[in-house]
Amino acid sequence: MSIMEYNGGSVIAMVGKDCVAIASDLRLGVQSLSISSNFQKIFPVTDRIYVGLPGLASDVTTLHEQFRYRVNMYTIKEEREIEPQTFAQMVSSTLYERRFGPYFIEPVIAGMQRTPSGSYEPFIAATDLIGCLNFAKDFVVAGTASSELFGAAEGLWEPDLEAEDLFETISQTLLNAVDRDTFSGWGAVVHVMTKDKVITRTLKGRMD
Amino acid sequence: MQTVDMQQLKSGEINLGTSIMAVQFKDGVVLGADSRTTSGSYIANRVSDKLTHIHDRIYCCRSGSAADTQAVADIVHYHLQMHTQQSGDRPSVHTAATLFEKLCYENKDALSAGIIVAGWDKDVGPSVYNIPLGGGLFKQPWAIGGSGSTYVYGYCDATYQDGWDRDQTVEFVKNTLALAMSRDGSSGGVIRMCVITEEGVERLFIPGNELPKFWEGVEVLPPLSFKPKQQDPSGPVPMAVEA
Amino acid sequence: MTSFYSGPGFDFSNTVRNNFLQDRGLPLPKATSTGTTIVGCIYKDGVVLGADTRATEGPIVADKNCEKIHYITESIRCCGAGTAADTEFTTALISSNMEMHALSTGRKPRVVTAMTMLKQMLFRYQGHVGAALVLGGVDVTGPHLFTIAPHGSTDKLPYVTMGSGSLAAMAVFEAGWKPDMTREEALELVVAAISAGIFNDLGSGSNVDACVITANKTEMLRNFVRPNERVTKERSYGFRRGTTAWKKEQIRSLIVSEEVVKHGEAMDVS
Repeated sequence: MSIMEYNGGSVIAMVGKDCVAIASDLRLGVQSLSISSNFQKIFPVTDRIYVGLPGLASDVTTLHEQFRYRVNMYTIKEEREIEPQTFAQMVSSTLYERRFGPYFIEPVIAGMQRTPSGSYEPFIAATDLIGCLNFAKDFVVAGTASSELFGAAEGLWEPDLEAEDLFETISQTLLNAVDRDTFSGWGAVVHVMTKDKVITRTLKGRMD
Repeated sequence: MQTVDMQQLKSGEINLGTSIMAVQFKDGVVLGADSRTTSGSYIANRVSDKLTHIHDRIYCCRSGSAADTQAVADIVHYHLQMHTQQSGDRPSVHTAATLFEKLCYENKDALSAGIIVAGWDKDVGPSVYNIPLGGGLFKQPWAIGGSGSTYVYGYCDATYQDGWDRDQTVEFVKNTLALAMSRDGSSGGVIRMCVITEEGVERLFIPGNELPKFWEGVEVLPPLSFKPKQQDPSGPVPMAVEA
Repeated sequence: MTSFYSGPGFDFSNTVRNNFLQDRGLPLPKATSTGTTIVGCIYKDGVVLGADTRATEGPIVADKNCEKIHYITESIRCCGAGTAADTEFTTALISSNMEMHALSTGRKPRVVTAMTMLKQMLFRYQGHVGAALVLGGVDVTGPHLFTIAPHGSTDKLPYVTMGSGSLAAMAVFEAGWKPDMTREEALELVVAAISAGIFNDLGSGSNVDACVITANKTEMLRNFVRPNERVTKERSYGFRRGTTAWKKEQIRSLIVSEEVVKHGEAMDVS
């Protein structure tokens, strides 16, 4: 068994039309024993950035603190909020610093990026555990159900989904994928972000 | 007394399977090498140059790990450049060889490098130094190295003679390498040679289709006209086997 | 915990924990690797580099259209194979150092300089930084092409291939390469070599990226050939709104609203 499977958990992010969504399951386990059905793996970074941290639970907490510290330092020094693209590079560098002793986390980043014209465009990215960035145009996945998520998302995702449709697509992708993974599940949470609001919904899912 | 195993390269490391040699003669030295570098069973480079420039009149032949020997050669090259700038004089071959030996010996646990240093200097004229795997510095009239060299020690012992001129020495190097390359699977390609004398450095090149040829075996199958004798009925009978 | 200042270089503080976990039978997860076919080819007045665009994580395709031709300087580029994060960060670091070098010398940097920086860095890490590179470019001394293996050995050749698809690509080069090709011939050969990797090597796939470098111009031909375009789905797999059952909803508005309350009489500014 891999270290990534010790606590379990999965995250997915998708791009829609002028919106993004990021979703995760809520399980925390110790190998096959489930401990909690309310373990948040997705954290707000700024008003318009969310980061999902699936992997070893102790590293979820450590890295979340690390990112909070670095983002705060950035905000103080630059006197502005960090952009999703910049935050993705920060995540990547933080992980690569520990190239030879990594954190067991595969972060997923979702946010609305400010364009030069002042509007917002959707942004998603994911990295592996040593910080190799993957900027996808459609969706990114990570965690113990990643192979199931890849398959489901590849079939269900389509371009230019409105926020409410994106919610259905990401929710169904996640729920159906984690039902085929023993280490993920026990409820799910979805964040859908548009230019002016963030909708957070806790889903009804299988509890076995 | 070999302590480091040449085949013990790190996985995926690029290897100079190699047949290399250097021979001294009256006016200078002749260096020679095959041109094959391998990564496992794949030939990563079929025209590589294993004769590496160290200084104006000093070259080396590299065998072992490509990365290790290139790094060592680069470091020695750097030191000799500094030496030349500071003393205003060309370094002796012995100086170069000592530097190589120092690096190879002090880092013997981390390196797999077998190097032959040869060249000409005004103190002693031509000289050839052999630095085997774990370090050690041996001045020799001729030296061979690399995996292919094991096949041609006998040939070299039987053939080499003192007092050869340039052309005889070049011929000896060419023949020895061709023999080594034909028997060693990790050696092959072309022959590159280098003649270093007081006057300068001359580079020679023998393409793969112009290598000297030696006895290459004869047909051991019976000729087409051969007819097997009729079986003697009283002779041994094949055992019956059930279908 | 998080220190105020972290020094340069790698941080090894997790290795004790990770080795302990590994000894307990929990193996390290796989990092993204670029299964990869990367090639380079010198022609009459420059260099052509080529790469596929697939990134893999074990048997999974992690990225279907990643970029493997990295920027070093305006007229030097580098293709990366091996551990994806290593190729990304190694080339970024050398690119930065090359820019600094150019600024401090006031000259256009040379390809051998990049090659030496890369090989010395990779040799220092003894193969643990798993970057296999094809470095190409044009400088004041003409066009140059190198391969740099993860342990730090380099080769200089007129045509090179690396990565898991290198055998397929090299077969194409060995059959079709000739000296002094034109730009079109070289580009065609590079595309054929990458295509051989895409279709015959499982670790390589998707599109062909190419980069043509000459003395005064560099053309980055991103997705130059796209032989694996996905057909649009015949039917929509969208779900009817309300399909997913949810228990709780929270809406956070990002609009900062201000209400202006009038107080007293307006000041007379006439």
